[in-house]
Amino acid sequence: MAQAFIELLREKLPDAVVSSHAEKGGDDVVTVKRERLVEAMAFLRNDPATDFKLLRQIAGVDLLTYQTESTGGASLAGREGPAYEPRKKSPVEPRFQVAYNLYSITKKKSLRVRVELRSEDLRVPTVTSLWRTADWWERYIFDMFGVQFEGHPNLQRLLMYPEFVGHPLRKDYPVRKRQPLVPELDFPDLVRGPGPGPGGAGVPMSQTHVGRQNVDPTTYD
Amino acid sequence: MTEPSSEPAAPEQDPLAVETELPSSLMTVNLGPSHPAMHGTVRLVVTLDGETIVEAVPEIGFLHRGFSKSSEQSTWHQVLPYTDRLNYVSPVLNNVGYIMGVEKLASVKPTERAEYLRVLAGEISRICDHLTCVGAIGLELGAFTVFLYAIEARELLWDRISELCGARVTVSWTRIGGVATDLPPGWEEKLRDCLPRVLELTDEIDALLTRNRIFVDRTRNIGVISAEEAVDWGFTGPCLRACGVNYDVRKAHPYSVYDRMDFEVPLGSRGDTYDRYILRLQEIRQSHRIVLQCLEQLPPGPIIIDDWRYALPPKKDVFTSIEGVMAHFKLIMEGMLIPKGEVYVYTEGANGELGFHIVSNGKGKPYAIQVRGPGLPILSALPRLIKGHAIADLIPIFDSINMIGGEVEQ
Repeated sequence: MAQAFIELLREKLPDAVVSSHAEKGGDDVVTVKRERLVEAMAFLRNDPATDFKLLRQIAGVDLLTYQTESTGGASLAGREGPAYEPRKKSPVEPRFQVAYNLYSITKKKSLRVRVELRSEDLRVPTVTSLWRTADWWERYIFDMFGVQFEGHPNLQRLLMYPEFVGHPLRKDYPVRKRQPLVPELDFPDLVRGPGPGPGGAGVPMSQTHVGRQNVDPTTYD
Repeated sequence: MTEPSSEPAAPEQDPLAVETELPSSLMTVNLGPSHPAMHGTVRLVVTLDGETIVEAVPEIGFLHRGFSKSSEQSTWHQVLPYTDRLNYVSPVLNNVGYIMGVEKLASVKPTERAEYLRVLAGEISRICDHLTCVGAIGLELGAFTVFLYAIEARELLWDRISELCGARVTVSWTRIGGVATDLPPGWEEKLRDCLPRVLELTDEIDALLTRNRIFVDRTRNIGVISAEEAVDWGFTGPCLRACGVNYDVRKAHPYSVYDRMDFEVPLGSRGDTYDRYILRLQEIRQSHRIVLQCLEQLPPGPIIIDDWRYALPPKKDVFTSIEGVMAHFKLIMEGMLIPKGEVYVYTEGANGELGFHIVSNGKGKPYAIQVRGPGLPILSALPRLIKGHAIADLIPIFDSINMIGGEVEQ
């Protein structure tokens, strides 16, 4: 499909392309070096032979639990999210991917440009100089994954509030973690368990008269 | 004018020109997040010079529900209710967009009848979405009648949707390889009965607004954006086509059975608020054509595939055979095991290209899923669209891009 464009990119910038492949669904993916990203993107956008004028979306992927995440079976039957263990060094490297979904309206072709990032160095040059729409998408990726877009004019959180700590779409961000700006009411919510709960702070809901008796005490903490 | 000038005007200047150069100070006005004209919960910090907008900073996220994070904890089918709540005016289109991504990963082709039903319900939803947008423009420019007409037509169609899908808005209607429910008895006649009324109401709206002097003055050449700039900002859908760019996913990359449908893609030329309005009216008529063609061509047959790896077995088999029970149990407890892969699937939502970037690691849940709501790039260009206009023009411009909080703030 879009293999021809990848070949053009290879010819133009042979040392920028790391690899390329076609996904099973038919999407063409090219991985480029982070240092050459802007150059490669400028070529793909401005060259009349490629003409990828529309940046559809920037997506992020955190590969931390790609191999290990136990989905299905018991983990679905239980209400717990994956255990939260902040790690000094994650075992999966490069851990993050930033995917730019491009589209050429004139050529009617799609292409995904991907950058791989190691967790100790989450910097990517910004492409806001090429597409205005990259402004908000980069803010979104920064908000959700903590990727630093160098040279971005206004790199602030897009959806979460400024006081928020952490990056929610990282796989080691706990699903049930709550960061209220105002103290939460001492109200027993049997399903989600916000706030300290009826026993006061530190007493698991399951050990109070309100909580269910057959629940693992660590579930609501 | 950004700061008061301290120097006196030159004596040889025209006195009228001096008057227009009178010093004024900037004023900051907060619009939203809870404001009836903000369509959801968007906050706009607008800096005004008199009545002219100098700068605007949108702030979003008040409606953020963690769509991606929640979806990563759910089985493939449990994501469907979350997609309903992305664009809550045309939820069927979201369902279809998402499920097409899953089907692409699993290399599943839905049955032909299901494809037609998806297009049928999707186009009805598109009409509802456009009616809402057009009605809201009318409402906020003082034409309350238009709003009532639009809502009457939308209710007629939402009644049909609720008869078909079981809910007005939270439909969760598609399934991997098909749809959840077939047409109820007598539904086709009901739809054929109410479609002329919908068209009649659309014509009423057309007659009330399109050549209305007040409406035209308020919308013509307001919020203009050029084609190149619109693409640069990531516009898709009616807002992009209003600038004259012919990009409609249904035509450029026909999915489902759109290649068998005879319809046109209306194009604008100026890229202003009026074009965005008139384009939606024309798209309602085109969608109406597609609905009628779907009804004519609708083939008989099953509405879901007979592949128990992905589709729930019929209840008859679950209750009478051990294979049925096993398949049902595995699908409910473990979810559908979708093969590994990464896909970006795009469909034509009511407001533009609705994209889902889905990553599967071969398990029962999506590993990563992110949505490209068509409204997000368009909303990001709002400061560019309203800059230099009067604050009263902000409302029609904001209406015409039809931002839906659910999909923008996820």
